[in-house]
Amino acid sequence: MNCKQFQEVLPHIIESGGNPDQEAHLQSCRECGELVRDLRYIADQARLLLPMHDPNPRVWNNIQKSLAREGLVPEDRMSRQGHTMTNSPAQKKSWTPLGLILAATAVLALSLLLVNYRSTNPANQENLAPPVPDNSPATAANADDHVLVSQLAQQDADVAGAYQASLEEVSSYISDAQKAVNDDPDDSAAQEHLRDAYQQKAVLYQMATALLLE
Amino acid sequence: MKKLDAAVLAGLILVGSALSLAAGAARQIKLAIAPGGSVNVVNNCGSVTLHPGNQRQVVVNAATHSDKVEVDANSTPDGKRVDVRTHALPQQKPSSSESSVDYDIAIPSGVSVTITTATAPITIESVGGDFSLSSGTGPVTVKNAANARVEVRGVAAPVVLSNVTGQVEVTSSNGSVQLTNVSGSRVRVAATSGNITYHGDFSGGGSYVLSTHTGAIEVTLPPSASVDLTARSLKGSVENDFPLQAKSHMTFDPAAGRSFAGTSNSGSSSVELESFSGRIRVKKQ
Repeated sequence: MNCKQFQEVLPHIIESGGNPDQEAHLQSCRECGELVRDLRYIADQARLLLPMHDPNPRVWNNIQKSLAREGLVPEDRMSRQGHTMTNSPAQKKSWTPLGLILAATAVLALSLLLVNYRSTNPANQENLAPPVPDNSPATAANADDHVLVSQLAQQDADVAGAYQASLEEVSSYISDAQKAVNDDPDDSAAQEHLRDAYQQKAVLYQMATALLLE
Repeated sequence: MKKLDAAVLAGLILVGSALSLAAGAARQIKLAIAPGGSVNVVNNCGSVTLHPGNQRQVVVNAATHSDKVEVDANSTPDGKRVDVRTHALPQQKPSSSESSVDYDIAIPSGVSVTITTATAPITIESVGGDFSLSSGTGPVTVKNAANARVEVRGVAAPVVLSNVTGQVEVTSSNGSVQLTNVSGSRVRVAATSGNITYHGDFSGGGSYVLSTHTGAIEVTLPPSASVDLTARSLKGSVENDFPLQAKSHMTFDPAAGRSFAGTSNSGSSSVELESFSGRIRVKKQ
């Protein structure tokens, strides 16, 4: 069993425990174990707040009488506890307002936990997360070059072509110089080439931007 | 019938003339400029030519080739700044040929000039001053500029500097750079894949740096040149046919075929030839 399968049956596990496979996963997976503990805690706390002391029967009598005077409810005999009992066989259970709020809060908290839960165990990932896009500086730089050339192409295709060729050359220069610096960080000539390369790229961008803004 | 033919022909000539005038027009604008003033020219297509003027004014001769663009030329009230600009008329989208304007500009000495083009060639001759030139692919030529400060930036623009003294800085990506008799206190040329050629004596006791990524560097010196010369190519090759004396103190370990260093005469000027993977050649004139 993996985390995804476990989470699908999580409400059942919270309510009534799990089968041996589910228990085994719970014991072996730290993330799922913490999730279950958190959810059980929320459920326990919510349960503790639900029981309410019923008000004095005189209160229910007065409410009943007021509702009857208004014609909103028929007059019925009172229950032993002073509650109104109707003759309807299918009496719906009602929640107190506070109980409703707490129950809603528990459901919301459970939902948020399930939605935001992400297993960190690589063995249980099963490609759940989408592939992370390549945000390397080289990729970003190439993307910027492409955007610049595209903008220039709208003005003059030949000029855009010249810029594209130059940007490729300069990018190659930066790459070569960076490699040389990486190979020998103390090589001052390599460092100077790297500075020159970046400066040339900056000049290209300045010129292209000025052209686009004309 | 003959009268009708003549009338039709005359009408056609008149219409053609009107059309040609509407399509292209030449105008001259004279603008006063204060000593030390600046001139800014923006013209993407066509050409820009600068030459010396006689009076304390900037004389702009502009020839357009369509009615879709116009020339704006104006100066500030104090004469310190002159702006000359080609732009498309509202709601017009001219092609490259329709945007083309040929400028011939006369300027007085001691004026700083900034020229920005995309494809228009820039030619400056026999004018001293500060020049900041930016070109995409249009060739840049500066000749006979004494006591000048020349800055050139090009994408794929060939650059030719000849008989220029002063301070020079050239940044070229793919365009070639040709320097002939260029000397001064500071000369710096950086190219990516463009080749750099230098003919001259590196005089003036200045600092000269010629640098490329993959472009070749070729230097031709007269025997009278007084230089402290260093040539280094990280991944490329170096060749020397110029007699140099070994330096008493080296700041790096010369590698055969990849670097060499030496002095000639009194070693007045510092010359650094650097390439990442291009070939460097030093020849005797």
